[in-house]
Amino acid sequence: MERTAFLARLGGARPGPALPDVTALPDVHTELRAGEDPFTRFAAELADVSGTCEQCSPDAVPAAVVAALGAARAVALADDLAAFTGPVREALAAAGLEPVAYAEVAADRERLGALEATVTGCAVAVASTGSIMTTAGAGRAAALIAPLHVCVVAAGQLVGGLAEALQRMPAGSMAALQSGPSRTADIEKTLILGMHGPGATHVILADRPLPEFLDPSPETA
Amino acid sequence: MSDHLTGTTFEERAAEQLVKPFQRQAIPNAVDGTVGHYWKRFEGYDRAGLRRLGRDIRAHAVANLPELVGRFADTCEAAGTQVHFAADAAEANRIVTGICQAAEARLVVKSKSMLSEELELNPVLEREGIDVVETDLGEYVVQLDGDRPSHVIAPIIHKTQGEVRELFSRVAGHELGASAQELTSFARAQLRASFLRADVGITGCNFAIAETGTVVLVTNEGNGRLATSLPRVHVALVGVERIVPRLADLGVLVPLLAGSGTGQPISTYLSLVSGPRRAGEPDGPEQMHVVLVDGGRSAILGTGYQDVLHCIRCGACQNVCPVYRQVGGHAYGWVYGGPIGAVLTPLFKPTAEGMEVAHASSLCAACDDICPVEIPLHDLLLDLRRDRAERRLPGRLERLAYQAWSYAWSTPLGYRLSGTLGLAPLRLVARSGVLRRAPGPLGRWTRGRDLLLPWRRR
Repeated sequence: MERTAFLARLGGARPGPALPDVTALPDVHTELRAGEDPFTRFAAELADVSGTCEQCSPDAVPAAVVAALGAARAVALADDLAAFTGPVREALAAAGLEPVAYAEVAADRERLGALEATVTGCAVAVASTGSIMTTAGAGRAAALIAPLHVCVVAAGQLVGGLAEALQRMPAGSMAALQSGPSRTADIEKTLILGMHGPGATHVILADRPLPEFLDPSPETA
Repeated sequence: MSDHLTGTTFEERAAEQLVKPFQRQAIPNAVDGTVGHYWKRFEGYDRAGLRRLGRDIRAHAVANLPELVGRFADTCEAAGTQVHFAADAAEANRIVTGICQAAEARLVVKSKSMLSEELELNPVLEREGIDVVETDLGEYVVQLDGDRPSHVIAPIIHKTQGEVRELFSRVAGHELGASAQELTSFARAQLRASFLRADVGITGCNFAIAETGTVVLVTNEGNGRLATSLPRVHVALVGVERIVPRLADLGVLVPLLAGSGTGQPISTYLSLVSGPRRAGEPDGPEQMHVVLVDGGRSAILGTGYQDVLHCIRCGACQNVCPVYRQVGGHAYGWVYGGPIGAVLTPLFKPTAEGMEVAHASSLCAACDDICPVEIPLHDLLLDLRRDRAERRLPGRLERLAYQAWSYAWSTPLGYRLSGTLGLAPLRLVARSGVLRRAPGPLGRWTRGRDLLLPWRRR
């Protein structure tokens, strides 16, 4: 059907209310309350949905990534790790791992399907919901193709609530929030992790920027 | 989309469901957990304030569709998305089939879309030789079993673990273990293989953002995200009323949807898809298509039923409905069950059979109380009944009976007299005020329960 004719059919509605202002939201669980500590709330919310996290200094991040990867051998690094890319790659090499770049395997269905873990950065992390936002720039499937996902959050990327995260949605063809591992409860309400995405997610938050690191602050739309 | 539903009455379908002991327990068990989580989620927070905002956003959007849908189409096209307009199911199915054929698709993966259930899309694609795989675990089970989803959020709430095991074992060709973990792992492996091979991913759309040309997908399993990442082509089916003006509106609607749907603070995955893969991005589809579907929605605009288009498909009204909790989703005869189904089915399928579903309600209004966008469901149900009564043009005798009733109960004397006269013969056959089997038309009541006669006035 032609656009004009289609839109014409949609006229004739009863008038509705004015569009409400949503810059100041009522007290809602997806926003942080005054005085709440962002990291404490982030950790509590993430634990509630079976995800894990830790906070450490930026120079301890590479070792934390190695530890989080555990026994995984087939590891891909997304290219949104910004200043952490080099140090993480070095630490993995020292641990005997040869990570591939996600962009290299993205087109190869077989290698993509065989990945055991992926490591990505994020655009923004949300304290009130324990969520991280990954982007198409890092790879749409990068955070959920493997059974284990490790995410590095740089200082300044943790925001209080959903509203601010939406304001900071980066440019690109996709941005996605995820909160803990993939889950389903379709069979008799039994909660099972890892339905389509990872069964385990670990978030590493750097507690401050380091002078020798470029600050991987998110691009804003 | 045929206007013919099941060819049965609600009473017949309900009777069929009521003899399933598992379902009658499973639905209240499952949904009580969800309802409990729901209240916990909003406890201590300003639920009323959030609901009011949600209602106003939805009501504003539905009242301004030509402008907002037009803007959505513009922003989609600016992001490289191809936009299609479908007046009805037949046109929507033709468009989707055309996209799949142009892409030479042999395998399509689908993430859950209630709109595609309305369209009955899958058989159309299959007739063209295109394989379709539902990837939501519940929808996958429903598809393998030739069944229908019975709840908008929990499609196989009516099925036992044993039934799923039997079904998956048949697909596997050997006996699978009984645990939910093992069954889920089996489905994951099957579906992952499909994801990696699929040419086209078809999704629904929870919210369509006019401002940014963004299709918003809310899932817990992550299948919506994979379906929009791996295949070469992404097709999003968007009911025109899914439109929301601004990205910031998600700050209101997402907590309302996740909280009301499953009692979660936020869904595990919230994907914001704005167009096909761009230069410099390592993966994503080469093409994105948005199919905007009217499918009976425009006919509701401007009528007294317009508010039903505010619905965000959370399923909360089903969870609290005393009728739904007993009979389940299939008794409603079409795609949607519970109070929302009792309103939508008569509007989308205004045949005698469709209209009847408006009576599948006790009018207790629990649905009104829980609806996150304040849809006055029970008022709409009453209006539908009134419409039906007018359309059915009852016979002279029936009208006379109602007039006599109305006249009798307009005065205290008439009221008392009718009670005494009406109850007298029942009192003769009743034992201590209880009738186990009532005579005449009252017999339908005592088929399932005793009739307690009112106490005598002392």
